[in-house]
Order: sequence, then C-alpha cells, then structure tokens
Amino acid sequence: MTHAPAEVAIEYEIADAQVSKPLASPRLRGGLLLAPAVVVAILFSIIPLGYLLQVSLTQDSSFFFTVEYTGENYREVFTRYRSAIAETVYLAAASSILDLIFGYPFAYILIRKVRYRELVRTMMTFPLFGPLYLAFGLFYILLPNGPLGPIFTMLGIDIAKYLFSQAAVLFSMAVFTFPFMVMNIGAALSNVDPMLEEAAKTLGAKPWQTFTRILFPLSWSGIIAGLLLCFGWNLGVFAQPQLLGSPKEQSVLSIQMFTKGLVQFNYGLAAALGVVLMVMAFAVTWISLRFSRGALGA
Amino acid sequence: MTRVQLLDVTKRYGSTLAVDNVSADISDGEFVTLLGPSGCGKTTTLRMVAGLVDLTAGQIKFDGQVINNVPPHRRNIGLAFQSHALFPHLSVARNIAFGLEVKGTSKQEIQHRVAEMLDMIELSQHAERMPAQLSGGQQQRVALARMLATDPRVLLFDEPLSALDRNLRDTLKYSILDLQRRTGKTAIYVTHDQSEAFAISDRIFVMNEGRIEQTGTQLDIYLRPRTEFVAGFVGDNNAIRGEVVGVVGGAPGEPGLVDVRAGGMRLRGLDPGNVRVGDKVLAFVRPENIEVILDGEPAEEPNLVRGRIDQIVFEGPTVRLIVDAGGVPIRATSGGIGRLSLLAQEQRNVVLRLQEITVVRDDPAIAA
Amino acid sequence: MASLAAPAGTLRPRFPNISLKRLGDALAHGYVWVWLVIFALPFLATLAYSLRTADGVWTLSAYQYVLGSFKENLLLSLQTTVLTIIINLIIAIPAAYAIVRHPLPGKSFILSALNLSLYTPAAVMGVSLVIAYAFLFRIPQTMIGLIAAYVVGTFPLMLVPVIVALRDLPLVFEEAARTLGATRMQTFWRVEIPLLGPGISAGILLTFVIIFNEFLVTLFIAGPSTTTAALRVYNLTRTAGFQPSTAALATTMQLISFVVVLLFFRLFGSRYLKGTYLI
Repeated sequence: MTHAPAEVAIEYEIADAQVSKPLASPRLRGGLLLAPAVVVAILFSIIPLGYLLQVSLTQDSSFFFTVEYTGENYREVFTRYRSAIAETVYLAAASSILDLIFGYPFAYILIRKVRYRELVRTMMTFPLFGPLYLAFGLFYILLPNGPLGPIFTMLGIDIAKYLFSQAAVLFSMAVFTFPFMVMNIGAALSNVDPMLEEAAKTLGAKPWQTFTRILFPLSWSGIIAGLLLCFGWNLGVFAQPQLLGSPKEQSVLSIQMFTKGLVQFNYGLAAALGVVLMVMAFAVTWISLRFSRGALGA
Repeated sequence: MTRVQLLDVTKRYGSTLAVDNVSADISDGEFVTLLGPSGCGKTTTLRMVAGLVDLTAGQIKFDGQVINNVPPHRRNIGLAFQSHALFPHLSVARNIAFGLEVKGTSKQEIQHRVAEMLDMIELSQHAERMPAQLSGGQQQRVALARMLATDPRVLLFDEPLSALDRNLRDTLKYSILDLQRRTGKTAIYVTHDQSEAFAISDRIFVMNEGRIEQTGTQLDIYLRPRTEFVAGFVGDNNAIRGEVVGVVGGAPGEPGLVDVRAGGMRLRGLDPGNVRVGDKVLAFVRPENIEVILDGEPAEEPNLVRGRIDQIVFEGPTVRLIVDAGGVPIRATSGGIGRLSLLAQEQRNVVLRLQEITVVRDDPAIAA
Repeated sequence: MASLAAPAGTLRPRFPNISLKRLGDALAHGYVWVWLVIFALPFLATLAYSLRTADGVWTLSAYQYVLGSFKENLLLSLQTTVLTIIINLIIAIPAAYAIVRHPLPGKSFILSALNLSLYTPAAVMGVSLVIAYAFLFRIPQTMIGLIAAYVVGTFPLMLVPVIVALRDLPLVFEEAARTLGATRMQTFWRVEIPLLGPGISAGILLTFVIIFNEFLVTLFIAGPSTTTAALRVYNLTRTAGFQPSTAALATTMQLISFVVVLLFFRLFGSRYLKGTYLI
C-alpha cells in the first residue's frame, strides 16, 4: 500500500463552526404541507358541523335566524321523533345482525375454501357503487312484472307484497354493507391458523363445537369490528327506505332531515335531527376505535 | 482528485453522542476505511461527508473548502449503499444514466457514458433489464457504475458488500479497489469486516463509540494497537493485566521496550511511549505468536510462561489451545506439522513463549 | 365412511360416489355463488329493464336518453369527479408527506380531524353543508360548494393509501437520487412519484367510485344546474317512477364504475387498498 504515513499532523482552526439551518425547519415545512388539508377540513367539515349545532338550537324557519337559543328542537326530537330514532337504530342493528349471520359463513368459505377470490372481490364491489342502484335494482326485481317475475310465480312467492316492506329495506341494507362485514371477519379469520381447526377435529370436536370453541372466540375482534362498521354506516341510510320502504321505514332520521330541512324549511329541527344522528354515529365510531385499539393491546 | 478533511466532526442525537470529535485528513486519491463494530459512528460519519446528515459541530472540507452547508446534490460525490438502492422502476441503463439526466447532459453524451460504464462492469447485454431481474452481485455492480457515471470527486461506500454472500464479497471487494485505482479518486469505505478493510485500504481508521481509536496502515493496526479496543477488535488477542516495572530503551532506531509484571508472569513488550513505572497496563499477545514448548524447565526469561493446557481443539490447519497460566487463560494457536504432536501427547504442562507483545495503558477512564 | 359389514347375502343399495365432505364443499361453494348472484342481480335487473319497452321488446332505445337529455348530467358527474380527484391529489400528497416524514405535534389528533368526514353520515354532512352554504358562506347550490363537499368527503380515502405507500417507500431511494445530483424537486418527480404510483391510484380509484355515484350529499346541496347523474337517477325515480330511461342511466353509471374498478385491479392489484374499507 502506498502513501499516507502512519501519523498525520493535523492543523486546523478552531472548529466550532455552527451548521446553519435551512430556511424552514422540518416542523414548519410539515405544517405548511399539511395546511391545505387542514384548512379544507376546517372550512367544510368542522365549521359546518359546528354551525349545525348552533342552528339546531334556534327555531326560525325562514332565512333569518333569531339570536334566541332554545332547546325546543331537541325536545321535539326526543318526543315526536322518538319512534324515528328507534326505527333508525332498529333497522341499522337488524341489518348488521343479518350481515353477521350470512356474512360469517361467507367469509369463512372465502378464506378457507375458495380459490377464485379475485372474482369474488370484483363482484363484491358492485354493492359499493351505492345503495341507490341497489335499491333501484331490487325494486325492479320486486316488481310483479319484473324480469324475475316468472321465477317467483313458479316458486309460488307473491313478490308484490315485499315491495315497500321492511323486509325489502332490511335486505337491501344488509346487501350493501355485506362486503364490509365479510372483509372484517375475513381479516380476523385469516389470522386463525387452519391447523387449529384440524387439531380440534382430531381431538373429536364436532363442527359446531369447533365453531363455538375455536373460531368464534378467535375471530371475535373481526365480528365486533364488522358489526360496528355496518351499524354505523347503516345509521345514515336513506335510499333503501326511501325507495323500498313503507312509511314506517321512511321515518328514519336521514329522510326526516331531508324532509324537514329542504322541503319544510324547518332548519332548526332538521339540524337537531342531524346532530342526534351525528352523535350516534360518532359514538359508534368511538366505540369501535376504542375496541380495535384495545384488541391490539393499545 | 480531492482532499477530504474532517475537523472535530461531531453529531449528537438528543442526548446521545453518535460521533465524537472525529478528525481525519484524507489525501487525494487515498483509499481509507472506517472500521468498527455496529453503532460506532462510522456510518453516521460517512453520511455527514455525503451531506445526508447535518453536523452538530465541526467542519468537513473538500480541497480546503468548507462544505457543511452544501446540500448533497451539489457535493459531487458518489455513494454506494448497502442495499444497492437501484431505482426499481428504471432499467439498468436508466439507473446508470440518472445522475447525468438530472444534470441535463445531452442525450448523446449520456448514451456514450452509459455504454462506457456498462462495458466497465461487463454488463452491456443487460442494459434494458430491470434491477429485480439481476443477481445480487450484478445489482451491486450496476450500483457502482451508476455512482461512477457522474464522475464524482469523492467515492463513499456504506458497507456495500455486507448483504452479499462470502464468495461474492471476496471478488467484488477487489473490483471496487480496482475501480478506485483506475479512476484515482479519493475513497472512504465503511465496514465492520476487518478482512475486507485490510484487503483494500491504504489506511484504516478504527472507530468505537463515536471516536477514532487509532489510525494507521494494516500493519500498524495489527501489530501495534494503541488501545485496548483496537487490540481486541482486529483479530484475536490475549489481554493480560499487569503493571510496569521497568522501561528498557531500545537501540537507536529501534523501538523501546517495557517490562511488565502480571501475576507470576514477567513480560517484555513494545513501549507505547506513554507509560511510567507503576502504571497499570494491558499486555497483548496474539494466539498465533505463542510458541508452545512441551518439555524442559524454562530459564527465567521474560516472555516465558508456565501453564497447563485446559482445552485443545483440532481445527484443521491449526490447533487451538486454552492454557491456564497461573489463573490467566491464554489462547494460543499452533500451525504447521508440529501441531499434530501437540494433539497426540498426554501431558498437560507446557511452557509458552510469547512473542510480539504490545503494551497499552489500562486507563479505566476510557471505557472499552 | 366405512360402514359395518353387512350380513352376507344382503343387497345393499349402491349410493353414488359422493362423500359427505364433497357434499359440504359443494354446498359451501353454492352458498358463495348465491351471494355473488345476489350482488349482481340488482345491476342485471336494471340492465334488463333498460333494454325492454312495455311490450317486452328488446331494444336499446332507452339509451338515447343517456346520450340526449342525460348527457349533461353525465358530463357534470365526470367533471366533478375528475376535479375532485385532482384537488384531492394536490392536497393529500403534501399532507401525506407531512404526516409520514415530518415531526409534528398532535399528529393523531390532526389525523382524526382529517378523517372526520369518513365517520359523518352523508345526510348529516349534507344537511350541515346546505345550511352552512346558504347562510354562513352564502354559496348555495354552486359548483364550488359541490366540489368542496366532495373533496372533504373523500380526502381521507386518498390520504390513507398514499400514507401506506409512502411508509413503504425506503428512504434510501431518495438518498441515492440526492447523492447522484438530483435536487429535491427532481427526486420527487423522477423517483418518488413513480414509486408512489400504485398508492396514489388506489386513492384515485376510491375517490372515483364514490364521487361518481354519490347522490345523498348531492341531494342536499345541489341545485338544478348542479345535478349530477346519480342525483338525476334519484330525482327521476321520485318523479317519473321507474322508467327504462332511468334504468338506462343507472346501468351506464354502474358499467362505467365497473370498468374503472376492473382496470385498476388489472393494473395494480389490491395491495394498496388495504386499510381502506374497500378491501
């Protein structure tokens, strides 16, 4: 090896030179990058919601609001519209449970047995295009002279009585949130080693026992997550009850908000209904976030 | 063709001192290696030279010009990463051309240069392949070509070979050396692998816990370690605690010696120059420099030590022993034909002749 | 499945060779297929209805409305969707960088605030915006209001995939580009954006599917000049009942959405949709 003696005498000035920072610290730059998003969120999400709260405490139905605040709207909501709230919660809960009952086997089969998952996934995007089309299509199917009419008469089912019924609304709601349930349960199930089921089988467990003792407990987090997700989403349902439901189903909060607000111009009441719905939806979200964090061990 | 200077370079992360007053003067065209264990600060130092990490204090100069505040893309350096870092969405040719494209070089010039580089690494027929389609060795070669395409003035290597298997590492390290020699560029290489550092460097900086422990050639580092850490880090070394009992000057032009008493042993080793009688020291002797004598009573000479064989293992080309010398376990290796008779014999008492002993101050202030 | 040996001489009926397991498997697959059919049925029914007249004749005549009086609505839908996507990109990519690469106080709080619209029911968002637009901002039934609502509603869906992609992007590529002489901007456009591509397209896909078919928030805040195709479908249903022309529009909307989804899966797979609600 060539040059470089073993010892090099180093001469240098007092090396105390500070490194000058670039114009903006990472923190400031980060803030600037985030600013547009935060501004948009504040302007069009947070402020309107706050304003909604404010309006819900006023009682004017014309274009000028009095400065008088009153809880009158809420009194009305919790008396006259109590059944509406109940109906909303009932429909959301019932459809979520339906999703669980039908979605669990679906998810299980999908995870364990099906090879053509891509196809299934593609097909499952259909409901996600919107409950409107779902309701729409279901309406056609339920029409007496609709495309499936002959099949129904062949099966002896009087299809017309399902039009504008709770069953139709529940069914269409369940179909819409079905993919959400399947995905949550699927995710939880895919973490369950198939060998556990085999072990249970070799130990003599019957299928039902394997389910209750092994699968169900281990996929519990997925079940809860799925239920909460479907429930929260279905609280705000509009299209299905509107198109497929009887007046009872049409009393759900979203529809009420529209009628009171944009048809009857009773903004205060509509706002109050909105706040109640919002609080319910946030509560569900908060619970599910707490739950998932807890399940993950925080 | 750049002289690189580090002047009291320091990097602090919160309360942790990653690099502690590192100074170095690297001549133009020199190949130096920063050698040390994980976490010793060698990579952080390299990244400061590259401009990817800001200095807390100190200066870095290229050819006398302070470059602390110069962003990496204006330093005209080349950096070879541990993970080759080839852009996965660009072909081999586009990867190599990247540095030239961002500078706005003409298409013709780019083509010419890329062809030149591909030729140099002997991968011309793979020009349009994507990085994922190449083997590990090929990827690293493309990374080298990419680095050299822009004709940087300093080459920096961040453990470029540690992700590759042994054989590849051995061949590639010589390719790297060859490239550096041919281009004559100053190179700073970081590794924890001592044999790699020894194979290709002009000079080695041994680092530990953010500081440079010793600078020198391979011979310096190996034969004359200056600190306990260096003595123990590079190759195997026995460390024997003792006390200086005498200083013996050497003949003119020859290094001086010191006498050390360690337990029942009398050792004579190289004078490090900074010890007096009574100082606590560590005497280092390498296992391969110990001669195992089987019979005879030793004369009372320095560096002859009596002991019992505790353990003896046949390793193939060598025989490894652990000898208990008055409570101090000494590791020795023996090669050559004689090693077989060592194995064969029954009796355990031996005499060791220790050679090439280096002495280092045992300074508790310097935590090893 | 072995049965006890039958007494000699007894005739045992020959069962077809179906084991219980195979039967179970067949049922399982059948169950899946039933649901797949259920998913597809509404669309198919709508399609069928759009192709028939009252006399039961198969014809495409209903689709002339799509190209005719519905054309404006469709164009408006496409316009608003594209604009929303572009604005989302411009806002979300810097925001993702801020969240992933920069130290900021209260990051999780900020993220929750940004994701707020995901948790807000569409009707609530609709009613709050219609009131705010009318009385607070004074921009009732305008395009700006519509686009703003869309952006706020789908911004989280763009943000999350980009964050996932950015987290997965090793810093070393940026460093390599910088040491090779690229400026920050050059590194961004030549190295990071291409490698973030799949994540960004996931956001684009989600935004498209949702906004293109959105009708509920639109119902609250749109006016006659800002009626998107989805809203038009709803309005027609409420006024004219279920007509083949309406069905034609609905079918067209779904077809377009479906094609876009297919294209995405074909090009990018499903990796970057994890963590969002689509996958």
